[in-house]
Amino acid sequence: MKAFEYATAFSTASARDLLADDGAYIAGGNDLLGRLKEYLDSPPRLVNIKAIPGLDSIQHGDDFCTIGSLVTVARLETDPRIRSLFPGLQQAAAEIASPQIRNVATVGGNLAQHSRCWYYRQRDIQCLKKNGDLCYARNSDNRYHSLFSGNDCISPVVSSLGTTFAALDATAVVLSQGRELRWSMAEFYADAWKMHLAHNSLKPGDLILRVEIPLSRPRSAYLQASDKHVFDWALVSCAAAADFVDGKLTSPRVALGSISPVPHQMDKANQFLEGKPLDSDTVAHAADLLLAGAKPLEHNAYKVPMAHALICRTLLKLKG
Amino acid sequence: MRAILVKAEPAPSFVVKEQDGLDPDSPQVWEGSANASTPRTRENGNVDQAFGQCAAVIEGFYTTPVQIHNPMETHGNTVSWTGEGITAWSSTQGISSVRDGLAGALKMDQSKVRVITDFMGGGFGAKFGAGVEGVLAARLSKEAGAPVRLMLTRFDQALAVGNRPSSFQKIKMGALADGTLHAFEMENYGTAGIGAGGDAGGGGGGANIPAPYLYKVDNARVTQRSVAVNAGSARAFRAPGNPPASFGMESAMDDLAVKLGMDPLDFRLKNDPSPIRRKELRLGADKIGWKQKYRPPGTCPGIVKTGLGCAGAAWPAGGGSPFTQGEAQINPDGSIELRLGVQDIGTGTKTVIAVVAAEILGLTPEQITVRVGDTQYPAGPGSGGSTTCASVSPTVNDVCNQALDQLQKLSGMADARGQNWFDACKKLGISPLTVHGRWQKGLSSSHACGVQFAEVAVDTETGLVTVQKVVAVHDCGLIIDQLTLASQINGGVIMGMGYALYEERVMDDLSGVMLNPNFETYKLPGIADVPDIEVVLVNMPERGVIGIGEPSTVPTAGAIANAVANAIGVRVPSLPITPAKVLAALGKVPPSIKS
Repeated sequence: MKAFEYATAFSTASARDLLADDGAYIAGGNDLLGRLKEYLDSPPRLVNIKAIPGLDSIQHGDDFCTIGSLVTVARLETDPRIRSLFPGLQQAAAEIASPQIRNVATVGGNLAQHSRCWYYRQRDIQCLKKNGDLCYARNSDNRYHSLFSGNDCISPVVSSLGTTFAALDATAVVLSQGRELRWSMAEFYADAWKMHLAHNSLKPGDLILRVEIPLSRPRSAYLQASDKHVFDWALVSCAAAADFVDGKLTSPRVALGSISPVPHQMDKANQFLEGKPLDSDTVAHAADLLLAGAKPLEHNAYKVPMAHALICRTLLKLKG
Repeated sequence: MRAILVKAEPAPSFVVKEQDGLDPDSPQVWEGSANASTPRTRENGNVDQAFGQCAAVIEGFYTTPVQIHNPMETHGNTVSWTGEGITAWSSTQGISSVRDGLAGALKMDQSKVRVITDFMGGGFGAKFGAGVEGVLAARLSKEAGAPVRLMLTRFDQALAVGNRPSSFQKIKMGALADGTLHAFEMENYGTAGIGAGGDAGGGGGGANIPAPYLYKVDNARVTQRSVAVNAGSARAFRAPGNPPASFGMESAMDDLAVKLGMDPLDFRLKNDPSPIRRKELRLGADKIGWKQKYRPPGTCPGIVKTGLGCAGAAWPAGGGSPFTQGEAQINPDGSIELRLGVQDIGTGTKTVIAVVAAEILGLTPEQITVRVGDTQYPAGPGSGGSTTCASVSPTVNDVCNQALDQLQKLSGMADARGQNWFDACKKLGISPLTVHGRWQKGLSSSHACGVQFAEVAVDTETGLVTVQKVVAVHDCGLIIDQLTLASQINGGVIMGMGYALYEERVMDDLSGVMLNPNFETYKLPGIADVPDIEVVLVNMPERGVIGIGEPSTVPTAGAIANAVANAIGVRVPSLPITPAKVLAALGKVPPSIKS
């Protein structure tokens, strides 16, 4: 990697100042350092945000649980209250990478991480997402790529926390030019759907402060399918959340990861599930609705039946 | 390294896929030479006639990918070039071959080059030569007037230090009604990349594989060729040729057994010419519970289906090198040092030396100081072909017997072993006793066998394969040390499992680059993927010492592939067996939409 300056910020304001026009925030650094080592990015300055007070706490309110952006993935995995409030979030956290990585990886970093597309990450390839002319994946080996996309780039979102937050209808609070923006997960990733250069909707200098999760869905679940049993990216992931009273779903939400540049959600599926019981026909129909319009490419069509199975299983897990 | 400016131009056209290289019009990797070599055919009996006599015939197309050399420690070294000569601390399986390579490349006397390998993190056939990285580090050291450390990155490793060639095996095979294999035909091609490379020491490196492998078929025709592609070249890789051969042939064996309506175990017992392996098949079947658990393919109920499979190994090498030498220095205080110019590549060679010496001298292994990995010690072979154990054991035997003989003469004691040892050594006065010895015939042999059984669970909705258990039955003549032997076999099984389920070099035919030059997408087994491995050892002291490193990785992929086919009732004929391929084999994958 190229040499860089390093500064530690003690407030969000100083973090923004230190960053100037061309720096990069660093917390856990798992994604950023990999990009630096591969020469995908070479910011002249890294601004350590881990000393900013208040960003590493979990706070429980009457209607929301607020998770600071510096909370580690390991904490989401092991915190007993998170496990009982949002079992799906705990399950998603437990599937991320390895214990060593989870110990330093943060919620903010997981949401903001860049594409893992093997063309994007290949130092010798100048693909569309790196301002090149061509999405190689679309025309060549797309086994790990999206079934849905709103632009020519088909690299999928891989943040399993983002997928799970989408199912939980969480809000990300982002400090942008001195103002706090409140984004749904759909909004957080909206730019990646529309624009091939974007990984998410964050602009330079934007800082994720926290994620607010409503407490209205006491049931949640997360499952992923991978080539390996642990320490592997999801080929498809699925999160679901709802309330489940008298054998019927209330406010159900389902989101899928690794099949679209954004957490894949379909209002039609959520609406269909409202008030329904959890049986095999219901979940199979919801899966059909979620996957309607999928455009499998030469090497990733297997994701369709895989996603179908995961949707059914994840929804049925909501029964408890 | 980034400071070095390389001027190069991308080739205007290239070929990276084997199938494309078969096309006579594909861009030539070597100008003026076709990418596909002329097919070579070998035939015995009358194959065409024999197929007509068969009660059952199967045809299959079994393929294996290029497997990249990925030892935990990458290739590299630290080299110091001073007026005294060159000293290289190398990660190598062959200190002597590295010394000779450096001396040759740098025009130095061999006596002026010293290579040291105290410890190393794996080689598997890829680390015999000085390599570009060795010669470069030496030259830089001379220029800099300082030691230079040069270790390859994982990216470099994926591109430049070798791999196991791919195989594309079209097999047609038939058996008589009584289950006797009768006719066999194979056409195989594979790639060794841009060539076998200049560093294929340790055997192999080409794309040909042994066929019909373990079995004798009276009527057999085998046609093979290599296809050059614009990708990293092959190097010897743990049992060159054998894992793909075992996977292809053993898959065909199960497919034919199914067609014949025979139990695949009985079919092997009928056709395997090796009495050792037949014994091992019975032992392994017993351990995994074949009789109780085996059911016809695809008949396991439920979404997650379990299955059983087995496969066999043959390894023609594993014998000792007659050129191995060693020495012992016995000190008056009773301490003893064994020095051999071999290297311990992580297989327990030092332990083997200590165990053999201790037994002869009536001491404990802890009392033996073992020194290896230095070209200043008496020369030994490179660690390839599973040769080291069978090389050092007879050598240490000779050294220690001679040393004991001389110590008894010098001390006047009839038996200097065990409790008499220190008294005898004291009588040496102030001068240590140094004794030189060499490898002796009759204490080692070659040709280890081995069979493995796998039990798997396959999720038919997600395609995920879980290997639940592997029973690995192996022989290697006289067992020297059970713990390091079991460790070798565990490692062989885990590597074979990676070959079966995860590993694959992915070349991109649009850009020509390798897409997975890292552990993120070049997938290797992690601890949660590894099954319960039960090692069953067949001790055969009458055969002498035989190496085990290679045969232990040969049958794993075939056994797992057969277990998967048994579980789901259809064959996944292509390694690695990924969830995507399992779902495709089950007919669950919809057609893609052409863009």
